[in-house]
Amino acid sequence: MNTLDWCILFGTLLSIVLYGTWKTRGNKNIDGYLKGDNSMRWWMMGVSIMATQASAITFLSTPGQAIEDGMRFLQFYFGLPIAMVIISITMVPIYYKLKVFTAYEYLESRFDLKTRLLAAILFLILRGLSAGITLFAPALVLSTILGWPTPFTTMLIGGFVIIYVTAGGTKAVSLTQRQQMAVIMGGMILAGILAYTMLPKQVSFTDTVKLAGSLGRMNIINTEFNLNDRYNIWSGLIAGTFLFLSYFGTDQSQVSRYLTGTSITESRLGLIFNGLLKIPMQFMILFIGVLVFVFYLFNQPPVFHNVVLKERAMQTPQGRQLQAYEQQYDVLYAEKRQSVDRLVEAIHHDDDAQVNVLKEEVKGLEARERVLRDSVRATIATAVPGAKVQDRDYIFLNFVLQHLPNGIIGLLLAVIFSAAMSSMAGELNALASTTTVDIYKRSLKAEASAKHYLRASQGFTVLWALLAMVFAMLATFAENLIQFVNIVGSLFYGTILGIFLTAFYLKRVQANAVFWAAIIAEGVVLFCYYSFREEIAFLLYNVIGCGVVIILSLIFQVFAKRTHSA
Amino acid sequence: MSPTTPDRPPVFKHWRTWYWLVLGVLAIQILVYSWLTRLFL
Repeated sequence: MNTLDWCILFGTLLSIVLYGTWKTRGNKNIDGYLKGDNSMRWWMMGVSIMATQASAITFLSTPGQAIEDGMRFLQFYFGLPIAMVIISITMVPIYYKLKVFTAYEYLESRFDLKTRLLAAILFLILRGLSAGITLFAPALVLSTILGWPTPFTTMLIGGFVIIYVTAGGTKAVSLTQRQQMAVIMGGMILAGILAYTMLPKQVSFTDTVKLAGSLGRMNIINTEFNLNDRYNIWSGLIAGTFLFLSYFGTDQSQVSRYLTGTSITESRLGLIFNGLLKIPMQFMILFIGVLVFVFYLFNQPPVFHNVVLKERAMQTPQGRQLQAYEQQYDVLYAEKRQSVDRLVEAIHHDDDAQVNVLKEEVKGLEARERVLRDSVRATIATAVPGAKVQDRDYIFLNFVLQHLPNGIIGLLLAVIFSAAMSSMAGELNALASTTTVDIYKRSLKAEASAKHYLRASQGFTVLWALLAMVFAMLATFAENLIQFVNIVGSLFYGTILGIFLTAFYLKRVQANAVFWAAIIAEGVVLFCYYSFREEIAFLLYNVIGCGVVIILSLIFQVFAKRTHSA
Repeated sequence: MSPTTPDRPPVFKHWRTWYWLVLGVLAIQILVYSWLTRLFL
C-alpha cells in the first residue's frame, strides 16, 4: 500500500459518507427517516436491495469459495427469482394496502399483538447477530492485512455508517448504496480483468476456462439429489426459494428497501430488477474467483493465505516445522507447475487422452497440497492458540495486495469497506425501524410527537450499531463467515416465513394457533440443528421451520375449534 | 406511497408477462450453466 492507495481508499469512503450525510440531512419525522417519504424509483430500490444483500463477506468469501470449491455455490441463488415473483404477487400489494412501516405490523392486523412481537423479536435476534458478523468479517480481515487492531477497523466501519444513517435515515442508505455498488462492481470487474491479463501469454481465455473446468472449478450445476449436499440445483430451487421468500418477504432489512418506493409499480420493478440481475452478478464474482484460481496455477500462492498470522507463528517454536512445510510446498508447487504447463499444451493440441491423464495428475498434486495446507493450519493453531486458521476469506484480498498495481489496491479495499458499510447501513435502518415501530411505539410509548419518534429511531440506530460493534469485537468463532451468516438465517427464517405464509394463505387459522405453532417450530429447528447438524443441509431448516408452523397451525386450529364448539 | 397511482406495469400489458420473463430468464440461465458445466468438466 502506498500514498496513492490511501488517498483512493479514504477519498472514496469520505466522499460517499459526506455526500450521503449532506444530501439527506433534515428529516423531520419517522416517515421521512424510515421510509424516505416514499420517493424512491425502481432502479434505486433494485440497487439498494442488491447492496443490502451483498455484504463485504460476499466479496471476501465468494471468490475464495470458487477457488477452493468451484462455482457450485451459484446454485444457492436459483430460488431468488422465484421468490421475487411470489413476493411481487402476494406480499407487496398487502404491505402497500396496509401502509405499514414494517412487515410485522401486518401480523397484528391479521393475528394479534403477541404474534407481531414474536416475529419482530425473532427478526431482531437474527438480524442483530448478522449485523455483528457483517461488521466482524471485513474488520477482522482488514485488521490482519493492514496491521491495525481489530477494534479500530470495527469502529472505523461502524463509525462511518453511524454518521450517515443517523443523519439521513433510509434515504441516506439508498443514496450511498448507489455509489457503493458502483465502486464495488467497478473494482471487482477490474480485479477480474487484471487477473486474466496477468496470465502467461500462451494461455487464452478458452484455455483458462478449460483449465478451470478440467480441475473441477466449472462445476456450476449439480443435478444429483442429495440431502447432505449443501449446493445442488434442487436445494437451490426448493430450499433456496424458501430462504429468499423469508429474507425478501419478511426480513425488515429488505422489506424496508422496497417500501420506500413511490408506488407499488416501482416496488415490483425493483424486485424484478433484483430477480434478473442477482444470479449474473454472483456468477461474475465466482468467475473472478476462478480467474484467480487459474492465476495461482502459474504463480505460486502462499501456503497459508493469512500471511500476517503465519509470520506470527514463525516466531514461535513451531516456526521450524512451518519452514519445513514451506520447503515441501515449494517442491510440490514446482512439480504442479510442470504438470499444468503440460496440461495447457495438451489442451492446445486437443489431445483428450493426454488431457485426462494430466488433469488427474494435477488433481493428485492438489490433493497432496491440501494435506500439506491442513498440516500448516494445525501447526499454526498450536503455535498461536485461539487464532482463526481458516484462511479462505483471505485468499482474494491477499491476491489483491500481492499482485495488483498500486491505486487498484486502494480501490479494492474501498470495495470491501463499501460493501461492509452498505449492508450494515440497511441492517441498522431495519433494526431501528422494527425497534421503534413494533416495540417502542406500539408497546412502550404510544403517544408522542413526530420529533420524539424521529429521535428514538436515531437513538436505536446508534444503539444497534454499538451492539453490532461489541458483538463483532467478541466474535471469533465462525470458520467460514458467509456460511455462518446463512446458517443463522436458516435457523430463524423458516419460522418467520411459516407465520407469514399462514397469515397470507390459511385464512381460517387464528392468532393462538399460529403463535404456539411458531414457538414449537423454532424449538424443532434448533433441536434438529444441535442433533442432526451433519445429516441435514442448513438450507433445509427453512423448509422444516416453515412446514412445522403451517402444519401445527392447522392442527391447533382444528383443536381450538372443537374445544370452542364443545 | 400514493394510493391514487395506478399499478400499471411498464412495457408490457400485464404483470404476469414480467413474471414469466423473470422465470424464463432463470430457466435460460440454468440451461446455459448446465451446458457450460458439461462443456468444461
